[in-house]
Amino acid sequence: MKPESTEKLLEVRNLCTHFHTRAGLIRAVEDVSFELAQGETLGIVGESGCGKSVSALSLMRLIPNPPGRIMKGEIWFEGRDLLKLSEGEMGRVRGNRMAMIFQEPMTSLNPVLTIGRQVAEPLEIHQAARPDKAQILCGELLERVRIPGGRKRVKDYPHQFSGGMRQRAMIAMALACTPRLLIADEPTTALDVTIQAQLLELMKNLTRDCGTSLILITHNLGIVARYADRVNVMYAGRIVEKARARDLYSRPRHPYTVGLMASVPRLDQDVKCKLRPIQGQPPDLLQLPGGCAFQPRCGRPIEICRIQSPLLTVASENHEVACWNPADYPKEIGGEHALTS
Amino acid sequence: MAIFQRNTKVKPALCRTGALAVSAALLRHKSAGAGMAIIWMLLVMALFAPWLSPHDPNEQDLYHVLQGPSRAHLLGTDDVGRDLLSRVLYGARISLIVGLLSTLTATVIGVFLGLVAGYKGGLIDGFIMRLTDTVMCIPGLILLLVMAAALGPGIHNIIIAISALGWTVFARITRGQVLMVRELPYVEAARAAGASGWRIMFQHLLPNSMAPLIVASSITVGGAIMLESAAAFLGLGVQPPTPSWGEALRVGYSYLEIVPLFSLAPGLMITLAVLAFNFLGDGLRDVLDPRLRGEGDKIK
Amino acid sequence: MKRYIAGRLLYTFVILFLVSILVFILARLLPGDPIQAAAMINMDLANQEIIQDLRIRFGLDRPLYVQYVIWLRDFISGDWGVSLGSGEAVFDMFFKRLPVTLELFAGSVFWSCLIGFPLGILSALRRNTWLDAMVTATAITGVSIPVFWEGIVLIYLFSVVFHWLPAAGFVPFAESPLGNFTSLLMPSFVMGTHGAGLFARYIRSSLLEVLGQDYIRTARAKGLSEKAVLIGHAAKPAMIPVVTVVGLAWGYVVAGSFIVEYMFAIPGLGRMGVDAVFLRDFPVIQATLIMTAVNVLLVNLLVDLIYGCLDPRIRIQ
Ligand SMILES: Nc1ncnc2c1ncn2[C@@H]1O[C@H](COP(=O)(O)OP(=O)(O)OP(=O)(O)O)[C@@H](O)[C@H]1O
Ligand SMILES: [Mg+2]
Repeated sequence: MKPESTEKLLEVRNLCTHFHTRAGLIRAVEDVSFELAQGETLGIVGESGCGKSVSALSLMRLIPNPPGRIMKGEIWFEGRDLLKLSEGEMGRVRGNRMAMIFQEPMTSLNPVLTIGRQVAEPLEIHQAARPDKAQILCGELLERVRIPGGRKRVKDYPHQFSGGMRQRAMIAMALACTPRLLIADEPTTALDVTIQAQLLELMKNLTRDCGTSLILITHNLGIVARYADRVNVMYAGRIVEKARARDLYSRPRHPYTVGLMASVPRLDQDVKCKLRPIQGQPPDLLQLPGGCAFQPRCGRPIEICRIQSPLLTVASENHEVACWNPADYPKEIGGEHALTS
Repeated sequence: MAIFQRNTKVKPALCRTGALAVSAALLRHKSAGAGMAIIWMLLVMALFAPWLSPHDPNEQDLYHVLQGPSRAHLLGTDDVGRDLLSRVLYGARISLIVGLLSTLTATVIGVFLGLVAGYKGGLIDGFIMRLTDTVMCIPGLILLLVMAAALGPGIHNIIIAISALGWTVFARITRGQVLMVRELPYVEAARAAGASGWRIMFQHLLPNSMAPLIVASSITVGGAIMLESAAAFLGLGVQPPTPSWGEALRVGYSYLEIVPLFSLAPGLMITLAVLAFNFLGDGLRDVLDPRLRGEGDKIK
Repeated sequence: MKRYIAGRLLYTFVILFLVSILVFILARLLPGDPIQAAAMINMDLANQEIIQDLRIRFGLDRPLYVQYVIWLRDFISGDWGVSLGSGEAVFDMFFKRLPVTLELFAGSVFWSCLIGFPLGILSALRRNTWLDAMVTATAITGVSIPVFWEGIVLIYLFSVVFHWLPAAGFVPFAESPLGNFTSLLMPSFVMGTHGAGLFARYIRSSLLEVLGQDYIRTARAKGLSEKAVLIGHAAKPAMIPVVTVVGLAWGYVVAGSFIVEYMFAIPGLGRMGVDAVFLRDFPVIQATLIMTAVNVLLVNLLVDLIYGCLDPRIRIQ
């Protein structure tokens, strides 16, 4: 079942990741499929707890077990199904062909090891660089991610770095072996706005230079609009809408996506028009409602929504949506987003 | 421009857990359940010793000294022919009395000094805390020996000495809690408004401090039992005719080759008692205060 | 780092000063003053005139704080008085017995590490299995078991039943290295048990805590093997807090030495202290108390300094 197309770098099919906790079974990622081409940037958005990080960790096969497990699915990466690799083979993929940057810059670096040691480590593991050589390369890497005086800071410890600098060091570490795929899990959420922009710009430039594909996970639709080519919208462990970033912005189809848009300030929007947060609570994955998971919060439910969960279907070219009653264009969308009230 | 509020689900606090719920949880906790079972056994031994004992514990029989187990004397006899089993049963009394009473006084002293230190702050706080450091830097057993020598042997003096050593833990815990509660906004507001902070502080202090204090008490009872028997083992415990495990151990130790049970049996009882209170303390910590557990399996 | 060291040193000296006051007061609480205590042991002194004479000579008629200053001055200058039991200078007695006790300390630390480290690491790696439960129960037992009872059980087994090890007595190293070894095997094991239990428990929880940290996930994401993560990234941060356990356990080791040396008839400092308590040998008791506190404080100071050196967050400020 190997995918034929060669320009596809990554293809995820029917991925399911579950957590078996004392409180019950959490289907954190359920039947997720998507693909990614060489050099492309994919955005993943959704509320907190919808399974973005778990999807990313599943790709890296870093789900903590117990309690978590990848139940089924295929992850085709560079022509191999990662889920069939041995732990040793997977080790040669991680940090080498596929790297990841995490959400929490303050805690993602080891406090008792030098920055140099930590950033250079991928080179030592995957390219058999000698430690002294690796330290020199590491200095260059730190310069490349614009850490002021990078070469001199190789011997520093993480507590001597600010949050932004730590995240730069994380980027340097992730890109050390020029991976084919970089997964950035909310890389800037914990940082202030100016640094956010700088870091994203830096990441964009560096990945473009190396031809690296990027999966950018975020809460922030503004970031997605700006940096991503295509977007997956996730809700309660499933992808509910998949589209090109431009299309998603101009014509959101899923009521949830529409709600997301309505809760973000937009420049092209009338000032009088109020922001509307999505009503209701984010779903409790332990007790999902029957039918569509979004239905209790939805502004336009119909009969079948309570009974059966909708599947992703092609709505238009390059645009898939999982909804029984998606928003239509252009007539329903006016100056105001009427769907969520 | 982050558009979602973080999902901040807070688990209901355990502070209102009733005594019943706590004991149920303790029973489910394996080691705490074992600890409680042993403590019940010790209590039964201490309370019903007169009915359980086959002989008068002080009845000497110089024709049958240092005997091994027999039908008449299940554990054998000691160096003056007293029935060992009876003495072991009665011995639970001294250990439990010393353990519980000295912990009680230590708690009272410690909580009081901790309250004063935390509430008054400044010089008084510094003095009390340095005092705890000072007492803590000389191992309890050694201070106990010196105090026993100073005060003379006897159960009262042992209790006084152990209380004088044991209060430090409670003072530290209480002070820590006071400092925490003081920072709470409404307490500060009440104090700023001129109200006596004491009342409002107590209202918040009690539920917060109970868990760590109970855990520490349980462990202190074990420690006190251990100290008492150590002092008795060195000949500085209760006065001779009173049955005491530590004392029996001391005498029996000289006859280890002839009648091993003479020292092994009372020693086992001491170990069981200390172990039981430590197990209980451990279980209480898990049940009352899950934060202290330090497990790595929290949700990331 | 300099400020940290200075802070720890200052703290140590303050506590030492307070200890000296406490010991001074305790010594005055002993029944009778030192001269009377001496008279009780040494009947020649039982003459009231001589006693009065001695009281003045020792400054016991002066106000308490003057007595304290004189006493402290003498103590610091190495004049620790004369043992009422043996008539020997306490200072000389102390340093003659010190090596024996140090050897015992070293042995017990060795046992603690040898048992505690593997058990703690094992139970953290096999968390929530029956092995983990066994190790935890063993560790609590090790922390709870009274030194004297453990000693008796071991003596019964290895000396009375099997005749493998001597039940008591001490052989100096110079006399017979092997005899020295066998005579200290059981005592040091007994003294080290408590520490072993503490180590096992702290290492377990410290390692588990570290293994749950984000930076361990980062290390895995680099493609390191599980073993390399454990050795290269988890070991150091997990072991740094364990250093402080040495300070925690040390009080028990020292207290244990008193009972163990008494039980096994080892002529060290603990034995000296217990004998002094029996005899109310008040200069020896005083010296024992103070030097015990010095010992505990020094070890804790050392622990703090090592901790500061190991943790870059303290070392580089
Ligand atoms: N180690 C774990 N044990 C149990 N459940 C987990 C674990 N990790 C994640 N989950 C569950 O999986 C679900 C998805 O979590 P995930 O971390 O992917 O959310 P997210 O979309 O990344 O949210 P955020 O924006 O807050 O990072 C959550 O409901 C969470 O409860
Ligand atoms: Mg996340």
